[in-house]
Amino acid sequence: MVFVVDDDFYTREAIEDLLRSVGHEVRSYGSVDDFLRDHPVDLPACLVLDVRLPDISGLEFQRLQGSLGIRLPIVFMTGHGDIPMSVAAMKAGAIEFLTKPFRDQDLLDAVHAGIAIDRRRRADEAALAAVRERYASLTPREQETMALVVSGLMNKQIAAALGLSEMTVKVHRAQVMRKMNVTSLPELVRISDSLNIPTEKA
Amino acid sequence: MLGALVVVPLVAAPFAQLQPPGTEIFVPAYAASAFLVETLTAALLFAIFSIDRSRSLLALAAGYLFSGLLVIPWALTFPGVFSALGSDANLQVTSVIAAMRRLGFPLFVLAYALIRDREPSYYRNRKSIGSFIAGQIIVVAAATTGLASIALLLAEYLPVFMLDERDVAPLWHYVPAAAVALYLAGLASIWLRRRSVLDLWLMVVLGTLLIEILLISYLGRATRLSVGWWMGRLLGLVSASVVLLVLLSETMVLQTRLARSIRSERLARESRLTAMEALSASIAHEINQPLGSMVTNASAGLRWLDNDVPRVDEARSALRRVVRDGHRARDVIDGIRNLFRKDSRERAPIDLNRIIGSVMRRSEEETRFGRISLEADLEGPLPVIVNAVQMEQVVSNLVANSVDAVSSVTDRPRVVRVASRRQDGDVVVMVEDTGPGIAPDIRHRIFDPFFSTKPEGMGMGLMFSRSIIENHGGRLWMSDNRPHGAIFHLTLPYHAPSDTTDTEPDR
Repeated sequence: MVFVVDDDFYTREAIEDLLRSVGHEVRSYGSVDDFLRDHPVDLPACLVLDVRLPDISGLEFQRLQGSLGIRLPIVFMTGHGDIPMSVAAMKAGAIEFLTKPFRDQDLLDAVHAGIAIDRRRRADEAALAAVRERYASLTPREQETMALVVSGLMNKQIAAALGLSEMTVKVHRAQVMRKMNVTSLPELVRISDSLNIPTEKA
Repeated sequence: MLGALVVVPLVAAPFAQLQPPGTEIFVPAYAASAFLVETLTAALLFAIFSIDRSRSLLALAAGYLFSGLLVIPWALTFPGVFSALGSDANLQVTSVIAAMRRLGFPLFVLAYALIRDREPSYYRNRKSIGSFIAGQIIVVAAATTGLASIALLLAEYLPVFMLDERDVAPLWHYVPAAAVALYLAGLASIWLRRRSVLDLWLMVVLGTLLIEILLISYLGRATRLSVGWWMGRLLGLVSASVVLLVLLSETMVLQTRLARSIRSERLARESRLTAMEALSASIAHEINQPLGSMVTNASAGLRWLDNDVPRVDEARSALRRVVRDGHRARDVIDGIRNLFRKDSRERAPIDLNRIIGSVMRRSEEETRFGRISLEADLEGPLPVIVNAVQMEQVVSNLVANSVDAVSSVTDRPRVVRVASRRQDGDVVVMVEDTGPGIAPDIRHRIFDPFFSTKPEGMGMGLMFSRSIIENHGGRLWMSDNRPHGAIFHLTLPYHAPSDTTDTEPDR
């Protein structure tokens, strides 16, 4: 899915058609406001944004979008781009900064890259959400055990720290590995890193 | 000043005929001041003439120079003043020179008042105004020297004005009478022409000269060195000095005004330059826009054809848009050329509603996609004599502005309404929108060049629209729409079809 925001009707129409010709689904808007009113779409997407727009400019929107809970990759277009403007946009994470009239391939490449990035981000987010869910399914004791395991403690040390028998710790540990859907200790460590679990140093 | 003119003679009257002894020594001092004041005044007047090139001013300057220069021989021949230098001349010489001054100066003033200023180009054509003024000064100086020499050389043949060193002969009495008559004539003629501050002060000068001569010749019985005689002279000197001051300040004002106009001219040139830069950037952008969508549309067309199953229908519509974009780019260029074309004067009778109709048809596509309702309320026919291309630009500019204005509206219907009707002798068109309207603080600037509320606006549309309408003898202004938005009103003279023939040729 590609969103196009440009205040010029004809430019909008042309870009929309170009993107459709290579198989993208496209929605286009005359202003950021119109876009925001329509936006939530649960698909990998990319935003093709004119720099100069009425009310909220493209660059302004780029700054604002985090606070609006939007994290779309942005491809900027401008009638007359100047270098500082494009540097600012790229630093803030834009995919590309195109000066009109641009080569169609440049736009398509940028849009492809943008959608790929969004897809990856969405996959990562989905994976993380799954991990969080699994972590939430652990009992408090199992969560404690997991924190100590990933800190590198032996079962015996964990048993001492938690005041449990070594046998019980082993059971908890097996449950953690099963519920978190991992087969090795390094895997568990990596997952717990992505969860940002506070680990206890021995 | 005027008060003093009245009070001084009254105060002086009782003592006017007294003759305090030994006042001869003040005569050179008086003569020096009079000479300085009058020649300086002449110099300033010449300086002003060099700028404003008025012939009457030239006459006045010559008069002051004449009067100032004659003070020298008058003082030199004054009995008993420079006798040590052995310059004692014939008794009559001083009074003859005084008579020349008295009668000569008002003649110059009369000339000043009566000369009608010629076209300024008359003097502007001259190579150097400086040498011209120098020539005038030489002529006046030669004339005064000549007159003084004649008086000195032909002393025996001079009329008898003086009985002795102090008292005048009966013949003298004709001189002040003639002078009074000339002063009155001068006063009257300046009163009639009264145009500048200078005229006002010249009247004061003539008034004081009048009082001076009354004091000297009547209250002082024309007796030299009497209190009345001195009073008159000092009064004359004071008023001449005041005029000098007035002239000085006027010259200063003139100079600052000149400096200011030079500076503003330079500023204007600079702002014209930046205006040209802004204009070329705007034009580049205006052309870039259709060019960009043309390239994109053409690319899209190719890609539709390159698909595994070529989509001819889509390619065709892309190509159609390429054609449309091409026309759009040409419209932009035409528009710019028309705006700057000098001879955009070919006008023809047309029904204004036809122009409005074609503009609205062209805007339909855009408004439909923007969910804008474009309404027409046209009463007609409305025959006008206009340049159709220009008028189309104006109407499409107003409609485009309104469409832009309502595009940002989200909480109410987006409506652009164009109404036209005949009102009295005018054709009236109103373009109304339900947009955000125009804030009062920028309202006075919307018709200025390079003023735009749009991020990529040229800021030229309304300015050109207004100048086009005004060139057609109409008016263009805006007012508020209720409860939201703006209304642009446009009037043009109504031309009944029968009177088209006699109005057409002169346009």
